[in-house]
Amino acid sequence: MKISYKATTQILIALIVISIICILINNLTVNLIKTGLGFSFGWLFRPASFALAEHPLPYSPSDSYAWALFIGWLNSLKVIFYSLLLATLIGTCVGLFRVGKNVLLRLVSAGYIAIIRQTPLLLQLMFWYFVAILGIKGTIASPIGSVLSISNQGINLLGIKLSAEFTSLLLGLSVFTSAYIAEVVRGGINSVDKGQWESFRSLGLKDSTGLYKIIIPQALPAILPGLTSQYLNLAKNSTLAIAVGYSDIYAINDTIINQTGRPIEGFIILLLSFLFLNLIISNGMEYLNTAIIRSSNPY
Amino acid sequence: MKNRYKPIKYIKRVAFSNKLDSIISLTIISFGLVFLISLVKWVIFSANWNVVRLNLPLFFFGSFPNDQLWRPGLWISLFAILSFTTLWGPPWSWLRKNLPLLWVSFAPIGVFLLAGGCGLSPVESRNWGGLTLTILLTSCSAIISLPLGIALALGRQSALPVVKKLSSIYIDTMRSVPLIAVLFFGQLLIPLFLPVGLEINRVCRAIIAFTLFVSAYIAEDVRGGLQSIPRTQQEAGEVLGLHPFQITYLIILPQALRIALPSLTNQAVGLLQNTSLMAILGLVELLGIGRSILANPEFIGRYIEVYIWLAAIYWVICTVMALIARHLEQQMSLEKKDL
Amino acid sequence: MPPIVKATNLTKSYSKGILALDNVSISVEPGEVLVVMGPSGSGKSTLIRTFNGLETFDSGQLNILGISLDCQNNEERKIRRIRKRVGMVFQQFNLFPHLSILENITLAPIKVQKKKRDDAEQNALILLSQMGIASHAKKYPSQLSGGEQQRVAIARALALKPELLLFDEPTSALDPERVNEVLDAMRRLATQGMSMVVVTHEINFAKEVGDRILFMDSGKVIETSTPDIFFLNAKHERSRKFLNQIKKK
Repeated sequence: MKISYKATTQILIALIVISIICILINNLTVNLIKTGLGFSFGWLFRPASFALAEHPLPYSPSDSYAWALFIGWLNSLKVIFYSLLLATLIGTCVGLFRVGKNVLLRLVSAGYIAIIRQTPLLLQLMFWYFVAILGIKGTIASPIGSVLSISNQGINLLGIKLSAEFTSLLLGLSVFTSAYIAEVVRGGINSVDKGQWESFRSLGLKDSTGLYKIIIPQALPAILPGLTSQYLNLAKNSTLAIAVGYSDIYAINDTIINQTGRPIEGFIILLLSFLFLNLIISNGMEYLNTAIIRSSNPY
Repeated sequence: MKNRYKPIKYIKRVAFSNKLDSIISLTIISFGLVFLISLVKWVIFSANWNVVRLNLPLFFFGSFPNDQLWRPGLWISLFAILSFTTLWGPPWSWLRKNLPLLWVSFAPIGVFLLAGGCGLSPVESRNWGGLTLTILLTSCSAIISLPLGIALALGRQSALPVVKKLSSIYIDTMRSVPLIAVLFFGQLLIPLFLPVGLEINRVCRAIIAFTLFVSAYIAEDVRGGLQSIPRTQQEAGEVLGLHPFQITYLIILPQALRIALPSLTNQAVGLLQNTSLMAILGLVELLGIGRSILANPEFIGRYIEVYIWLAAIYWVICTVMALIARHLEQQMSLEKKDL
Repeated sequence: MPPIVKATNLTKSYSKGILALDNVSISVEPGEVLVVMGPSGSGKSTLIRTFNGLETFDSGQLNILGISLDCQNNEERKIRRIRKRVGMVFQQFNLFPHLSILENITLAPIKVQKKKRDDAEQNALILLSQMGIASHAKKYPSQLSGGEQQRVAIARALALKPELLLFDEPTSALDPERVNEVLDAMRRLATQGMSMVVVTHEINFAKEVGDRILFMDSGKVIETSTPDIFFLNAKHERSRKFLNQIKKK
């Protein structure tokens, strides 16, 4: 009786879901037949015939759509990787300042977090691109000559040229994510028992030593999950690259859909590439997590 | 006498306790002063606020017909009053009890005021814009995705494997795709999935896409709440002879939602910020209207003024919502301790 | 009159082959107070939780209020029918924190027995005044002390007019000075002729109120005797050892 009731409910729900999907697919087929496009991935190997400003590997408009998508994927990886590092660096500093002893530093970092978190990322990105980078008049060179120079063409760091688009996306993503990471770090440090501070102070350790040796190792298990979800958010947010004209996977996909008129195939490609990207990040963090747990807990 | 020395001691302890501390504090103070002075100078002398002043109606109401401006105006005022009452309103119990109801009815009231009908002259959705559209997108998506998210969360906790699997797949897939993709493909794909001849406008499509996306996140927040309800509550309901549905509906869900309320409000803040993404997908909500004003030759190059103005509006609204979240959190912990 | 609870050869094993219940047979007569004692992990809680279907069992027969529960046939509806007639009080009170005291008590009468709200509330107030806490009706559980919360829990269980009350260590989570107010309420119920199965470590309560003592260890029933015999002259070595340990505390 109990079993059959559960089974019928499940079959019923499965049937409802399947029939909704069938209706949607039916509508889709009718609409696709009407537009005369059908469903195929054959176009992937036709020449893309659009240029890309940034490509880590050789690329020309005569290369295939598939190759263009791969270049976009590499561009995404590049900006995600560097933003991730920069955001972690800034976020950790701001988070530590936030719980530090110096009231002024605490105030400044609280203000930083409040401003960054309560305004939209897209607005911040546009600000970085249109105001902070494109608004530069002439070239600002660093005091040490050729080490760093900034102009509205981008940044030149030790001979490595970073485009204006890449720079503004990097800065925008890093600054935005760092405010969230700072809160994660603060939460992690606050999660450590207050008695731990008192006990290392009573042993005569300096605050900085105690923080590094006692508090942070205990805070890490609380920090890592939050950090992982912030990294995943960063990866997803990197698709706003399209607003500043950086050719990431989403922007190239967008261009291709506009050229070929195949949104369904494009959506599937994008979905797969993000599932893959999420897999990389969560597995990487999982690896880091086990490594840290193993190193902090030798038994 | 003692009191006169106390503040100085305090400042010394918190900002100048050692050499490094003093250097840091002095740097912050000097940089802060320079920044403040140049900011004030810029705001008063260099900035040209005409771009904001002349376009105020556009920023708030989009291109809503001039003689009907009271409708979005009334609605935005309602938003302000509701927020204010929630935060600092009198503690009358009937008011407190009805506030959630008022918040729930806020979105339908907005749709009625903007779209018209039933005595109000109809206004087409392409005339909606500015802050009004931002709040409309946020409130409508929030109100529809809440029940959907709760259903998904319950589905994911369900004892029925088929339901559990389906909900999990939906939630995990939605949470792994970027929002802009969901919105973009929402605009492109939703018409393809509809029967031939049935068309819905861009605002509706955006709301559907936001709803599909946000409900997956709400589901995870609600699930967090559900998981924090001890199993003994379920048992206490069972021994009273309550039906499983009654236990979920009367005992588990009300408690789970209370626990999830602060994170749900944060979700709403995120949603409001994310409605700005529609600016690159052709809607003239707050950021979109800013972009189109910047494209006007008359105001070209006034990026800083417009962006700062927009940031200020977003900041105020999001901060108020964040305050509400914290307010609710405190109220809840107060109730939990004692009264 | 037939017994209210009749269990025959109940057996239940957890994973790893540990027996929670090992061939337990017991019956409870109408109006009887059965006190279940034993060291922690002896299966006391598991036993009384099978009486209202919170725990399943592997083999044996169980008959509650004339409704038989086979281990294979754990029908949800049958169990709900039993639960409407059997009340339970937990160690941790398990009140619903989001409902007021009055709502806690009237929830089941209104939703399960379909009583009118007014009738249910009137009955709840009577029960609360019997428990000596009528003034707290509008408060929420978190505003009450542990002893008061437990008395609310008893009132909640009584609101369905049960024919049997199960108590799972009702005083173990209370501050020592709060224990008696709950035990007093239970004493009054016993004198009114309520059938009760009580898991407890309170020796004095067991001596005074218990009609029979059931002593369990490792899932087995070691002995069943009247309080006089059990506390003065326990038949079993294991029982005597247990009593000595408790008395030391």
